[in-house]
Amino acid sequence: MAEVMVPIGPQHPALSEPVNFKVFAEGETIKRLELDLSYNHRGIEKAAESRDFTRVVPLLERICGICGHAHTTAFAQGVEEAMGIQAPLRASYIRTIVGELERLHSHMLWLGVGAHEIGFQTLFMWTWRDREDVQDTMEEMTGNRVNYGMNKVGGVRRDLAPEVIDATHGRLDKLEERFQGYLEIVRTNRLIRERFAGVGKLTRAQALALGTVGPTARASGVDYDIRRDSPYAAYADLPFKVITEERGDVLGRTLVRVREMMESLKICRAALLDLPEGPIAVKAPRTAPPADIISRYEAPRGELVHTILTDGGDRVLRLDIRTPTFANWTSVAAALPGAHLADLPVVVAAIDPCLSCTSRVAVVDTRTSKRSTYTWDELRDWGIDRQKGRARGRPR
Amino acid sequence: MTPFPGLPPKAVSGALSRFGPVESKGPFSHRAAVPPVSLRDALKVALSKLALDHMVQLATIDRGEAFELRYIMTGPHRALVTLTTTVPRTLGGLPSVHDLLPPAALFERQIHDLFGIEFTGHPGLKRLMLADDWPPGVFPLRRDFTVEGTPRRTKEAR
Repeated sequence: MAEVMVPIGPQHPALSEPVNFKVFAEGETIKRLELDLSYNHRGIEKAAESRDFTRVVPLLERICGICGHAHTTAFAQGVEEAMGIQAPLRASYIRTIVGELERLHSHMLWLGVGAHEIGFQTLFMWTWRDREDVQDTMEEMTGNRVNYGMNKVGGVRRDLAPEVIDATHGRLDKLEERFQGYLEIVRTNRLIRERFAGVGKLTRAQALALGTVGPTARASGVDYDIRRDSPYAAYADLPFKVITEERGDVLGRTLVRVREMMESLKICRAALLDLPEGPIAVKAPRTAPPADIISRYEAPRGELVHTILTDGGDRVLRLDIRTPTFANWTSVAAALPGAHLADLPVVVAAIDPCLSCTSRVAVVDTRTSKRSTYTWDELRDWGIDRQKGRARGRPR
Repeated sequence: MTPFPGLPPKAVSGALSRFGPVESKGPFSHRAAVPPVSLRDALKVALSKLALDHMVQLATIDRGEAFELRYIMTGPHRALVTLTTTVPRTLGGLPSVHDLLPPAALFERQIHDLFGIEFTGHPGLKRLMLADDWPPGVFPLRRDFTVEGTPRRTKEAR
């Protein structure tokens, strides 16, 4: 039978994010996959080179709408190491608490999306309703539902008030009950079993060879977790287990995430109970001496790496970010051949791809091979012209 | 504290010092500089002798006259081993390692796209990150790339 190319994208149908697949299928069976990650780079790494450390932190918060705290923590910890300062203990605990709440809301969002992909709308509604409790906690703690703005170089920007801590404990108790329910559903529900079990299989050897990270790797029995392997923030003091499953399929990835949510609850509770007294930030110097740092963070989707180079000035010489989704793409390309075309959304969604954080570069709008840029005024004038129906092509 | 042992500096220098200088900061951070010609050999030795089973990152730094590439890996011991190689700008390329280290294939496509470094032997060095209509020969992460309105970063300006 002849190969048929099925283009998917440039907007992913399920995730509403920019990715372009060319899926080559024979009949209903996927043969191979070609990947074009993105067309909307945002130039964040380049922009980071032209701002001082203080102004890079809010920029990095916006790499990802879900795990912004992961990026700012990785960067702040790296720059603190370069400067030779240490965030106070209380700040490390607060970073950990916000980081784990972020993991909770990210995994709950994923569970909802995963359920939605297979038409299990009830679970989608439940997880997204319960996720509001996490979002409310985040708003009380940080002032924001997303883009928390909690980190700065040297510590955190807001302290946790006793009433916020009490309210959080109450919500965590409620969530624990809900998570027990989710685990029961994921383990026993027939729809989940039929759509997730045996789908998108990745052996342990494949997961290792392809550089897979996070829950995707742990679902194939790869026991890597930066929180334990190279503890940062307050993780060395807090009790938690690294969750792994041996199944290696989409069901395994779902189980890992739901069980990790339980661990996150445990970490949050312990950190809130043991929250040390003291200041929440130290004053950071304006500049950092020449240094060369690899800062790693266990983001909800897996290991996040910031390679940070400083040269004695108040800016980074280079910031090279490797996001977990980037590391996980190769595994999608490997898990799909042989699969049924209809399983594609589930397999792709199972790595919990976060595309905006994978693409960070485009700055210029170009039509020809010549570089051309719009100034803000030109863009505004063009907009006004267009409104008046007088547009004659683009300016310049 | 991590419950893992890391790698003794002796083991790393024993395996890699014949390719170039090896520098270790404790058991968890090792760096070996290798010339581009022996990159593949050094990588083979590192992968087989140092039990490296996870690729962390292929980082790129534009040093002006040359590009620095860092192959960062780890393994069950959880030590980070970095192979650093420097490619002069005029040379513009180095051998691909996609067959030795499969995750590198995607990194190499990304770096080819953003820095314009050629990886000889790569099976599909096609555009990955940039839009299809991005002008060829313009590499947005190079140090000399500027967009009007973006401040040029020079020593004087700092």
